[in-house]
Amino acid sequence: MPEIKVTPLGAGQDVGRSCILVSIGGKNIMLDCGMHMGYNDDRRFPDFSYITQNGRLTDFLDCLIISHFHLDHCGALPYMSEMVGYDGPIYMTHPTKAICPILLEDFRKITVDKKGETNFFTSQMIKDCMKKVIPLNLHQTVQVDDELEIKAYYAGHVLGAAMVHIKVGSESVVYTGDYNMTPDRHLGAAWIDKCRPDILISESTYATTIRDSKRCRERDFLKKVHESIERGGKVLIPVFALGRAQELCILLETFWERMNLKAPIYFSTGLTEKANHYYKLFITWTNQKIRKTFVQRNMFEFKHIKAFDRSYADNPGPMVIMPGYCVQGTIGHKILNGQRKLEMEGRATLDVKLQVEYMSFSAHADAKGIMQLIRMAEPRNMLLVHGEAVKMEFLKGKIEQEFSIDCYMPANGETTTVTTNPSVPVDISLNLLKREMALGGPLPDPKKPRTMHGTLIMKENSLKLVSSEQALKELGLNEHQLRFTCHVQLQDPHSDADTLHRIYTHLKSVLKGYTIQHLPDGTVIVESIVIKVSSSAEDSNTKVLLLSWSYQDEDLGSFLSSLLKKGLPSGIC
Amino acid sequence: EMEDAEFEDILDDWFIESLKTYKDLHVYQLEHPTQVLEWTSGNSVCVAGYSQSKNEILELRLPLKLLADENKSLCAERDFKVSHGGFTDGPVRCLTHIPGTRCAVTNDGLSSDLQVWDLGGEESDVIRRTGSIKGKRSASERGSRIAARPSSAPQVLHGAQISDVQLTELASGETLYKLETDSADPLSSLQFVSDTVFLAGCCNGSVYVADTRTSAPPQLSHSPSSAESVIWWTDAAAGPHPSSRRVIRVSSSGQAVVSDLRNLGGAGCQAQLDVQTPGRCSQVKVSWAPTLDDCISVSGFSGVVQIYNTRLWGAEPQEARPLFEHRGHAVSSQQTDDSVPTFVTSHIWHPERPRTLLSAASDGSVHVWDWVDPNRQGGSPTP
Repeated sequence: MPEIKVTPLGAGQDVGRSCILVSIGGKNIMLDCGMHMGYNDDRRFPDFSYITQNGRLTDFLDCLIISHFHLDHCGALPYMSEMVGYDGPIYMTHPTKAICPILLEDFRKITVDKKGETNFFTSQMIKDCMKKVIPLNLHQTVQVDDELEIKAYYAGHVLGAAMVHIKVGSESVVYTGDYNMTPDRHLGAAWIDKCRPDILISESTYATTIRDSKRCRERDFLKKVHESIERGGKVLIPVFALGRAQELCILLETFWERMNLKAPIYFSTGLTEKANHYYKLFITWTNQKIRKTFVQRNMFEFKHIKAFDRSYADNPGPMVIMPGYCVQGTIGHKILNGQRKLEMEGRATLDVKLQVEYMSFSAHADAKGIMQLIRMAEPRNMLLVHGEAVKMEFLKGKIEQEFSIDCYMPANGETTTVTTNPSVPVDISLNLLKREMALGGPLPDPKKPRTMHGTLIMKENSLKLVSSEQALKELGLNEHQLRFTCHVQLQDPHSDADTLHRIYTHLKSVLKGYTIQHLPDGTVIVESIVIKVSSSAEDSNTKVLLLSWSYQDEDLGSFLSSLLKKGLPSGIC
Repeated sequence: EMEDAEFEDILDDWFIESLKTYKDLHVYQLEHPTQVLEWTSGNSVCVAGYSQSKNEILELRLPLKLLADENKSLCAERDFKVSHGGFTDGPVRCLTHIPGTRCAVTNDGLSSDLQVWDLGGEESDVIRRTGSIKGKRSASERGSRIAARPSSAPQVLHGAQISDVQLTELASGETLYKLETDSADPLSSLQFVSDTVFLAGCCNGSVYVADTRTSAPPQLSHSPSSAESVIWWTDAAAGPHPSSRRVIRVSSSGQAVVSDLRNLGGAGCQAQLDVQTPGRCSQVKVSWAPTLDDCISVSGFSGVVQIYNTRLWGAEPQEARPLFEHRGHAVSSQQTDDSVPTFVTSHIWHPERPRTLLSAASDGSVHVWDWVDPNRQGGSPTP
């Protein structure tokens, strides 16, 4: 049976990284190649030994697809590509291709230069790996090879995030990466057409949550900012420029005047110029509102928000707000974990005197979002990764009930095999089609298959159905006819002609719906079967019936000979 | 019909205003609206759908950020966690948790039969039906009210009308007590005021108080009003001291009457509540605040939850202004069908946090809010 295999790489219940292997139609695809941020050793990388014990991965994978620039989806990319070894194609959207290396380099700097780790990828490795990247546009089908094609869809979540549709022949899989179904201030919501994949693979980290509204998160943020300002303090926002920063700036800008505030807001980033450039480049990836407002302006030109100058650092009473994820090893990460004393290089310990608020604005799909996506794509099977099976029985039941599809939840390292039912498309010749249509009757109905005769020719990569005559012609073969004859003896005192007529009447009453003719040349014809009557030489009451039929009418012919062997009913005239 | 931009503006205004009027605010959207909100522990509630056929029962754990006292600012989790879920065959109009167990009892509002559920534990997140309890009536317009005995073995008090009220032991299905009365008045509320004494509020406004230990006839307090088409809802305060036990009755015309539990017919205080659409309501909920003296909350008349301070009420009914109004459901609901405006279907107070409530509305929204007492405003909020 044809089947698709899905294996999330990794061990145990860890949800820190994404790296999924899919085998479909003889092709092997890796989806994402994330780093686990909770570990400091090799456990942070996916376990590629599942693919091969040693050696490069090139021969085992047809392609690698990265969904977006978050490190838990692309952090292990340079390691996999340059240290383990992979030279095949790597696909990602344009913004992801532009932004990935920035994050990877940032992360490398902190891990190697600040934390002093060895056995980590180098800057050159990042560059070399990115050279293997083939960028994707939304909704554009890309042929990876003759049989494998992929297409990217908008996922929301972060700039450049994509869901990807993978197709081999008539089997397909959709992988969502991270996505959200409600738009936020700078990104739209995920969208996909009714592509009906065999499997829809979705992250399920938030599958059993009901998300607090975006407005409430924003309200909390604004409240803290407002309270700080009212106390006479200043607000400092260190945040990755190409992530949530945009969202927050728009939010503050929108509400600053409404809240009647006049204090300046400082925006700290080293990337303002580059970020501007990227946003202009990828304006089509933001939502409608942004595009309308920022067509002329710089993305970071705000009325109330200014770049931070280090000289402000000594002012009293500041509050630091850090939306989202601070990479492990940074001061931010330590502070967010409640550390109030920091050991600085070469200096004495520093006391953390600021008020710290940790807020999460990341846009993820919750239970409702997953149901919405299933409704959109109409997959034949559902597969949820990165959840605890025991904690998702209800969701599984819900999906199975509402959509009548199977829902799989493999643990990390476990392979799910889904049997598919691929259709095999065959071209039909025009002549054959016309002939079938000419036979009349009801129009073709998928629920009521109708038998047709033809010849299936498989030539190179195409399959076609043609009439037998055409097939013979194409193949240069002569048509042979096969005819069966049999003799049936009947006791009947009538003349040959009368006996024949009696046979005709009998058959007409039994074989209703068949074409039965009594020809003047002394034959009865049932469809193509010929029946003749002659008297036996020894006894004129013994009639010999000659039945002759072609191979195509084998069934009817056999039936007639058995029927007539039983003799004619007495009441017939 | 409101323009999208206009709607967004009004919503934004309310959110800006909320910076001062609420300490905490969480807004959720369920897939299907709920009519029931019931605590199953200090930090989890049950909700359930009420559509004609299949529905879900969900047990939701409150967001960690709301509950965190220390390190609240370092906790980013604002979401409900669906800790357990199950499916029902019909609507859920009433849901009661049996204290000290993982068991809940529901009624579908179509008959007086009850369904018994296991809310699930650590090994499974599925809520399963484990049995049923037969009620007196196979068909009932309003369905049964249910009350769980506060302590001792799992027992439920239930009934659709006052003459049907019975106490059933869950494990055996045995009827331990029956209320002896001939009246066929349908019930709008049923609750225990002590381990054995209960209060049954009828739709016509009369209130019965009885003790499950005796077969003595119940005490009856007649309706404050004899108006025929008026429906009444009741709530009894469970104060620590018997003398603080009061009963409030609210009518569909907005009349509110407070009396002492031991002297229901006697002089208490009254008010005419400031409800938007008196008369047009079916799911009124009135509740005493568990920790704020004299405060009551009312919902069901519109998309607003109102909090009143009954200490300001006098013996003669006068118009009362609410101390606080939660307008979140009304403001954030974008109505496509104006004939049925969004209304609040239920609300509950947090048993310990003085000003925290949960409210649910007909559009599927569920809000968790910690309101600021307008009389205590002015000081800077504690960090």
